[in-house]
Amino acid sequence: MANFFPRWTNWLPLKIAVCGVVIVCGLTAATWYYVTPKYTRVGYQPIQPVPFPHDMHVTQLGMDCRYCHSFVDVAAHSNLPSTQTCMACHQQVQKDNPKLEPLRASWKTGQPIEWVQLHRTPDYVYYNHAAHVNRGISCASCHGEVHNMPVVYHAKPHSMAWCLECHRNPENFLRPEKQIYKLSWKPEWENPKEFVAKYGQPKDAKDDWSKKEKLTQQEIGQTLKERWNIQPPLNCQGCHR
Amino acid sequence: MKRVFEHPPEKLTGKRYWRSLGELSDTPEFRGWLEREFPAGAAQLEGDEWSRRGFLKVMGASMALAGFGLTSCRRPEAHLVPFTKSTEWAIPGKPLFYATAMPRRTGALPLVVTTHDGRPTKIDGNPLHPASGGATDAFAQASILDLYDPARSKRFVEKGERDEKGKKVENFEPRDRAYFEKYLAELRTQIAAEGGAGLAFLVEEVHSPTRERLRAELQKTFPRMRWCVYDSVLSEAQSFATSLSFGENSRLVPRFERADVVLALDSDFLDCGEGDLAAIRAFSSRRRITEAKDSMNRLYVVENRFTLTGAMADHRLRCPASQIPAFTHALAGKVAAATKDAGLFSTIATLTAPAGAMSFDEQWLTELANDLVSKPGASLVLAGAHQPVVVQLLAYAINSALKNVGSTLIVREFMRTPKTNSILQLAADINSGRIKQLFIFGGDPVYNAPRALTQDRETKAPVDWADLQKKVPDVVRLGYYEDATSSLSRWHVPAAHYLETWGDALTWEGAYLAVQPMILPLFGGLSELDLMNALLGGPKVDGPELVQETFRATAPPGDFAAAWARLLRDGFAPHIVPKDKPPTFNANNAGGVAHTLWATAPNPTPDSPEIVLVRSSNMDDGRYINNGWLQELPDPVTKLTWDNAALMSPAYAKHLGVKNGDLINIAIKETTLDANQKPMNRELIIAALISPGHADNSITISLGYGRKQTGPVGEEAGFNGYLLRTSSNPHFIAADAKTVTKVTVTKAAGTYALAITQEHWSIEGRALVREATLERYREDPEFVKKLGGDDELPPGKLPSLYSHPPLTAEQQWGMTVDLNVCTGCSACIVACQSENNIPIVGKLQVSHGRAMHWLRLDRYYASEKPFNPDRGEYPENPEMVHEPMMCQHCENAPCETVCPVNATVHSEDGLNVMAYNRCIGTRYCANNCPFKVRRFNYFDYNQRPIGKKKIMGVSVYQEYLGPLTEKGAADTVKLQKNPNVTVRMRGVMEKCTYCVQRIEEAKISAKVKAGPSDKTRIPRDSFTTACAQACPADAIVFGDVKDPESRVSKIKKQDRNYRLLEYLNVSTRTSYLARIRNPNPKMPDAGRIAVASLGHHGPQHAETGSHSPHHAPPTKGEHDFNQHEHVSPTPTPIPTPEEKH
Repeated sequence: MANFFPRWTNWLPLKIAVCGVVIVCGLTAATWYYVTPKYTRVGYQPIQPVPFPHDMHVTQLGMDCRYCHSFVDVAAHSNLPSTQTCMACHQQVQKDNPKLEPLRASWKTGQPIEWVQLHRTPDYVYYNHAAHVNRGISCASCHGEVHNMPVVYHAKPHSMAWCLECHRNPENFLRPEKQIYKLSWKPEWENPKEFVAKYGQPKDAKDDWSKKEKLTQQEIGQTLKERWNIQPPLNCQGCHR
Repeated sequence: MKRVFEHPPEKLTGKRYWRSLGELSDTPEFRGWLEREFPAGAAQLEGDEWSRRGFLKVMGASMALAGFGLTSCRRPEAHLVPFTKSTEWAIPGKPLFYATAMPRRTGALPLVVTTHDGRPTKIDGNPLHPASGGATDAFAQASILDLYDPARSKRFVEKGERDEKGKKVENFEPRDRAYFEKYLAELRTQIAAEGGAGLAFLVEEVHSPTRERLRAELQKTFPRMRWCVYDSVLSEAQSFATSLSFGENSRLVPRFERADVVLALDSDFLDCGEGDLAAIRAFSSRRRITEAKDSMNRLYVVENRFTLTGAMADHRLRCPASQIPAFTHALAGKVAAATKDAGLFSTIATLTAPAGAMSFDEQWLTELANDLVSKPGASLVLAGAHQPVVVQLLAYAINSALKNVGSTLIVREFMRTPKTNSILQLAADINSGRIKQLFIFGGDPVYNAPRALTQDRETKAPVDWADLQKKVPDVVRLGYYEDATSSLSRWHVPAAHYLETWGDALTWEGAYLAVQPMILPLFGGLSELDLMNALLGGPKVDGPELVQETFRATAPPGDFAAAWARLLRDGFAPHIVPKDKPPTFNANNAGGVAHTLWATAPNPTPDSPEIVLVRSSNMDDGRYINNGWLQELPDPVTKLTWDNAALMSPAYAKHLGVKNGDLINIAIKETTLDANQKPMNRELIIAALISPGHADNSITISLGYGRKQTGPVGEEAGFNGYLLRTSSNPHFIAADAKTVTKVTVTKAAGTYALAITQEHWSIEGRALVREATLERYREDPEFVKKLGGDDELPPGKLPSLYSHPPLTAEQQWGMTVDLNVCTGCSACIVACQSENNIPIVGKLQVSHGRAMHWLRLDRYYASEKPFNPDRGEYPENPEMVHEPMMCQHCENAPCETVCPVNATVHSEDGLNVMAYNRCIGTRYCANNCPFKVRRFNYFDYNQRPIGKKKIMGVSVYQEYLGPLTEKGAADTVKLQKNPNVTVRMRGVMEKCTYCVQRIEEAKISAKVKAGPSDKTRIPRDSFTTACAQACPADAIVFGDVKDPESRVSKIKKQDRNYRLLEYLNVSTRTSYLARIRNPNPKMPDAGRIAVASLGHHGPQHAETGSHSPHHAPPTKGEHDFNQHEHVSPTPTPIPTPEEKH
């Protein structure tokens, strides 16, 4: 009887097994790497009922974040502006712009505008805006360069590991209280002399930082962390209650 | 080689603590509860329809199916919806607090209500007003659940008739409000035509000046109308006796803070629902001692059943309720002889000691009288509200003789509705056909009015309210539920909750409080003020206009708008000060009436017991029947949930031959004749419950259960005691030959399942409760450190096998519970439930030991005698101690070391935290918890609510039914949840968190306030946990234990401070203060009071005394925040370690 299975089939089970292992490992690795908030959330850019251009309002017109997100520094939530807030300007400005039709309709009918939620923390996470923006963390640290976004999108992963990056090393993100809402701020902007005069420098710093040409983020952050007694919670209860 | 840890040996003889008769006689059932964290049935789906195996099979299949769909791949789009117009004060995510008040029959309670985004979520006391002092009780805490009750009435209903094939059929037609208003306008003209001759109101006892003002206006418009106030558990005896003795419009206010000796004659003044919170606080202030040289008051209690006041007593006498008059008479004689008081002499002069009454221990009585007499002006005698007029009068006369009136008993002027009719007069009027329009506001008279209100005009048979109500053509009923009364009314109008309406109310002492709404009526309900206003023809009001008008009449100083704003902000009007009246006791009046009314029933015997009907401490008069929190709240004394039962003493149960849950038949034969000219016979079949400390030959039934027509939660709960209640015997029934000829109690066939939690979470450990007499405490202020093996621990910090994260935070949290002032009122349990979104689980689940309360109240009895009914040994007169038990936040937490997924870990500020999302439900932690305080979500209690469900045509009540019901909670129930606490799902372990959300909120507030500075420290004692906030006795104190100046740190330095199971080296953060009783050494029973926890060392200590006795506690006055290097490798605590292979 002829050999029913050709010779090469001898290796087939092994090949299948190896391929299987490779595929399974690959899938696992790919899932591990790609099915994370870093990939699933970042870049999410839904279409909003009113195409609100943050770049124009913030960068061109120089509006402060808190004009619209008025309770960000007092409450856990950063509120969206009421129709009334929008209409404060848009009763005069861009009165007839067809893009603002939903806004005018809302003002007339009293029906609120349904904005599409972009950043969502799970129910079991208790994030508090006020605790961050009053203590040296800028909006930009979590929401990215909103002042440059014509259409706002999810810029950072907002995963737990990402949160902990900052909670473990807050010095990488802290900035002076006057610069919290200045999203384009860069550490180089700080005048070392003025900065040190106002905030001092860490106790264990060896040289005099006021003589430096520029300050780095770490130097600014270290100073503020010590000066303001910044101790971000690293235990569960800080965010989960 | 393995070391087996043995708890320190417990002494085998003498007095000891026990939680149930089962424990006292060491039944196998009790061993089950003791030895297993989740006793038989708890961890199994046993008895349910599903076996665990079957359940897993089905779950596996559904998981596989779910995989095919992959429905949740895409993130669903969610929307954020801001306001159109900005609202004043509203900050999304920030709670707002409103001052308001809860109207009640005895006096309103000032409250502060937390609202989140417009929804009231939590009720707390108003700290600005002394009537609350920031505290609340269980009813106030639970009343928020009523607001969101899905079963509450939501519609206007008109009863009519409709033709069905030529037959008239009763028909309930839903209507809208406009239709009802049209009807009301028509009715109004009809009433006005007769000058109100046919108009009557039946209202509940509420002290609202605005209601009184509108009533007066109605009386002016309809001069012949009748106004009748009825409250089923309010006794008219007390108010009658008060006005007789001290003049009209009087109210007596006890001043416990001035009283050294208090005698409670069947008076449960420590029960929140009956007394008031100011009284509890004042009483506690005289029991709280900080060091051995402090003095405390002494409490004598004479009562038939164990009450919370009886549990607090230094001397307690079991006495049938019907024998209290005899006791009071005997005491009055002794006091009169000692004081030579003319008023008291004249009051009792004509009264003779009743024949056949109970005889009392002569020494007990004499020493009690001596103690009272030795403190003139600083003693206090209180008679229970449901005792007859004679007892009230005698108590007043005794107080007057002891010079207490005006000193410990203040007479206040109090607004009372003039010339109110009683329900008896109203019944007579209805019976004679004089009433044509009847307005019933609240209550549920068909359910709770006394039986036999009047006689049928022809047959002379007794007539009940239900029959009377049918005789009135136009009955308008304002009710919270569409209940039995509604179904016999022409109109049912949905009532608004007190958090939905404007109103006002007076406190017990007469202070003026505003009732302010924080939400519009959820289902368009009306208040009684709205209805009265409509009947007056006044313009329709939605705002506070009616109340403003009343308030304006009180002439607030200054600008009215400012005064009104201040009233709403503070919740009370400081310019209205209750007036004192001259404290003169009218002995003439009292003596005359006492002489006329003097009657005592003979001492009850086993064959002719007395039946005592009392207000339920959970259901009140039945109004909270559909409130799941209160249904599942264990009764503070019996620990019974979801039901009431007939309480009786162990000896009497033996006489009847019944065990817990056996049904008994109570039959009462009356002298009145029914329609067939036979003596009336009232019967009730009810489950028996043995209650140690109950008087023999006496049965107590709490009212308020068995209200069949309300909502799905409570419809099947308990037995209706009102069925036995007649207008001649409203509070206790004994065969006195005048109205009742015979009371028979027999065992009936069958048993009834009672869900009792007294054995649940029993702890095997020693000296959990520690108490001593004041005398012994003064002899040895350190006594508490010598109990439970604490004195045998080696000095210094004990080593731990495990490494723990360092406790490095600036502030460290801890708690103390003062057992000396804890009354056991259970307000803390409901406050915790409300704050922390704790679900109710249903009766069956409770009986399986799956109740979810994070905080439980362990109730211990203490007695010398064992329980052995066969040999006739009963713990006759045990003492009672309550011990609140919640997560102790051990620094060396045994739960943390066994969690395989690090779901429970320690935080740097000393909390034992739970990360719900990490928990995979192994339940190892609960098994390793020595305090048994961890609770496991066996089912999705939040997703599938408890209540009535119809399954295949069969109604099932009070049960968790799992997948047999549709998923999802009612929307209104979701509104109540605290948004700052995760709602836990099935399969997750949970426990007390020390209200971590409040700690974090305080931290964040401090940080926000600090801003760019380093002043991030939370101000001292600036916040507290929900239980501590609610506690009326201020027994629970929470705070920073690292700060030596904080309240909790100061308390922890007291001598009485001890930690539970110290010898396990768990190093708990919660500590307890030992209970001190103050018995009178001359009393016959003084020697056996508060001795149970003593003697744990002594002979045994001498035998095993391998350590040098050092009586200083290892951790006294300091706290172990850091792990130290340990020298001794094996400290070998007290026990002799047993070696095993």
